[in-house]
Amino acid sequence: MTRFRRTLRQTMTIARRDFVATVFTPIFLLFLFAPIFMGSFGAIGGLGAASMSDGAADKSRIVAIVAPDRAQAMIREDARLRRLFKRDERPSTLSIVAPAGDPAAQARAAMADRAYDIDGVLYGPLAKPTILVPPLSRFTGNYLEALAQATIAAEQPGAVTVTATRVTTTRERTSIGGQHQSGFLAVFGVFFLTLFLAGQVVGTMAEERNNKVIEVLAAAVPLEAVFFGKLIGMFGVAVLFVGFWGTVLGQLTTLLPPSAAAAFGDLTPAVGVPTFALLFAAYFSMAYLLLGSVFLGVGAQASTMREIQMLSLPITLVQVGMFALASAAARLPGSWVATLAEVFPLSSPFAMAGRAANSPEVWPHLLALAWQAQWVTIFITVGARLFRRGVLQSGSARPFWRRHKG
Amino acid sequence: MTDAWAVTAEGLVKRFEGRRVVDGVDLAVPGGAIYGVLGPNGAGKTTTLRMLLGIIEPDEGRRTLLGQSQPRDAGDRVGYLPEERGLYPAMKAREAIAFMGALRGLPWREGRKRAATLLEQAGLGHAVDEKVRKLSKGMAQLVQLLGSVVHQPDLIVLDEPFSGLDPVNQEKLEALIVAERDRGATILFSTHVMAHAERLCDRLAIIAGGKRRFEGTVDDARATLPAQVHYLPHAADPAIAALLPHDAVPEGNGWRFTLPRDGIEPLLTPLIQAGHGIAGLTIERPTLHEAFVRVVGAVEAARQQQEVRA
Repeated sequence: MTRFRRTLRQTMTIARRDFVATVFTPIFLLFLFAPIFMGSFGAIGGLGAASMSDGAADKSRIVAIVAPDRAQAMIREDARLRRLFKRDERPSTLSIVAPAGDPAAQARAAMADRAYDIDGVLYGPLAKPTILVPPLSRFTGNYLEALAQATIAAEQPGAVTVTATRVTTTRERTSIGGQHQSGFLAVFGVFFLTLFLAGQVVGTMAEERNNKVIEVLAAAVPLEAVFFGKLIGMFGVAVLFVGFWGTVLGQLTTLLPPSAAAAFGDLTPAVGVPTFALLFAAYFSMAYLLLGSVFLGVGAQASTMREIQMLSLPITLVQVGMFALASAAARLPGSWVATLAEVFPLSSPFAMAGRAANSPEVWPHLLALAWQAQWVTIFITVGARLFRRGVLQSGSARPFWRRHKG
Repeated sequence: MTDAWAVTAEGLVKRFEGRRVVDGVDLAVPGGAIYGVLGPNGAGKTTTLRMLLGIIEPDEGRRTLLGQSQPRDAGDRVGYLPEERGLYPAMKAREAIAFMGALRGLPWREGRKRAATLLEQAGLGHAVDEKVRKLSKGMAQLVQLLGSVVHQPDLIVLDEPFSGLDPVNQEKLEALIVAERDRGATILFSTHVMAHAERLCDRLAIIAGGKRRFEGTVDDARATLPAQVHYLPHAADPAIAALLPHDAVPEGNGWRFTLPRDGIEPLLTPLIQAGHGIAGLTIERPTLHEAFVRVVGAVEAARQQQEVRA
């Protein structure tokens, strides 16, 4: 048996023990149902996503392709009509564009604008306009029709009633608002899950230290395998937890009214939903393993339960800090903050999950996952070495590469 | 067991906070032997064993375990019972043994099967499915011991295996050690209880003050002290002293003295010719305990002298 296979087998032996020891206890049920008491986090997430969506509002437009001589009248009527709505119910900002050549082609081109989310385009004669709208934009269509009517009425009181033709069209790309919402939810989702789950790892070495099993393990298995095994075992617990709640919530969404389901339809990650789901799972795994490996290494140095409890605050602060950094990255894609968050190992999974929502390229994710996996290895190795030196009172005056020469 | 030397150590040194806890220990444990590492508390026995097993790295020196310079490369062929016993309290006895076997490469299923058999043989058949936390300390210790042999290792390292066991369990443990040796395994164990070492060891080393002070067989150890003679004349007579060695001291109605290098016969002839006769004569070989006390006592005395001088 090769050394790698032996180490792998030993790792899985530790992982199996930890998984079974954790899951088959009454305490695990308490842990499993803890989210019921933590519903408030959902509210926070919702508020954050709404805030992201608001941030994207100034990136939305409605477009009217009308002759310049009617532009002023339309702008006036738009300003008047807007006042009839509450601030948060008003339509997107109006852009007036002069017709050029084929107005239908011009309207389709406007809908494909990459700088803004176009909520609707009006073109053709004002008395019989054509209105292009994305799906679920009935309100925008109604507003543009009313605006055409008001403009004609302002020029010729008592004139003809406007008869608009509605054409529903899909955007060629995902909406900026939907991307921002998806980005925030991705960052929040990874944060929420790791906040719940990764902190558990901190005290796992305490069990071995308290009941002296560590001596047996250290004699039989490389400490790196002990650390990694414990991390994998606890990750298995986390996956079980996520699987359980994912199934429950998945079933609950089937009971939601269609309007609520439609709201989810606006979550439009740039990489597409299936890839996004895969990347979300990958980044959750990496966030767990990264934070877990750090917490495991730090927690292994603690010698009493009190010390472990004392660690819970800094652990939470680290997680919240990473969340804040990654949230800023999701809000400002392409900025130096985003780059920093994507490169810094502990915030990288959060920030890259946000990036998956905002940017369609897939290759940076492969690079990021490899980068993060490397840091998991580094954190585990460092944690195990510190443990060997500090707790097992080992270490050598000679560096390890010289020691291996015999 | 094919290795000529199951364990070798050359100049092992370990410092803790500047103090040389192990100070240049050499060991050579022959394959298939029961080898004892004897020493008083704090002599460096456990640290030496931990270095041999690769739990901690030596600061200086080199060691091999079953021919491997990296002890963990021989991990699957080694069983280890640490001084500080440790089991997962929520595990059943059978699972605990199988787990320890699994760490050393034994498949779980086979480990469980063997665990049940071993527990049965050790008289713990009733505890197969008991959780460790419900076992007595002695029973838990036996479970851990069985866990260290369940994968039928070539080398079994036991750190103070007898401490905490009642006499019945000590006897069981001795039988188990002998059975493992008969199977072909090498047993290396540390103890400061001489009776076990005297009964079990093929060879032994005495460690004191971090250094190896003696290495050899039990007989070799006992031979480091001369035998004592107890002579009982027909009648008490102070003039007898002139015919006895200088270290002779009265004891009861007789005399006690160290057996001379050239034997007892040259002494007896003059005693008989002088009419003192021989009412009783006993030659007592020293015990391992006495040899140990002498070796360790000399180290301790030297240490105390050093402290006084300092």
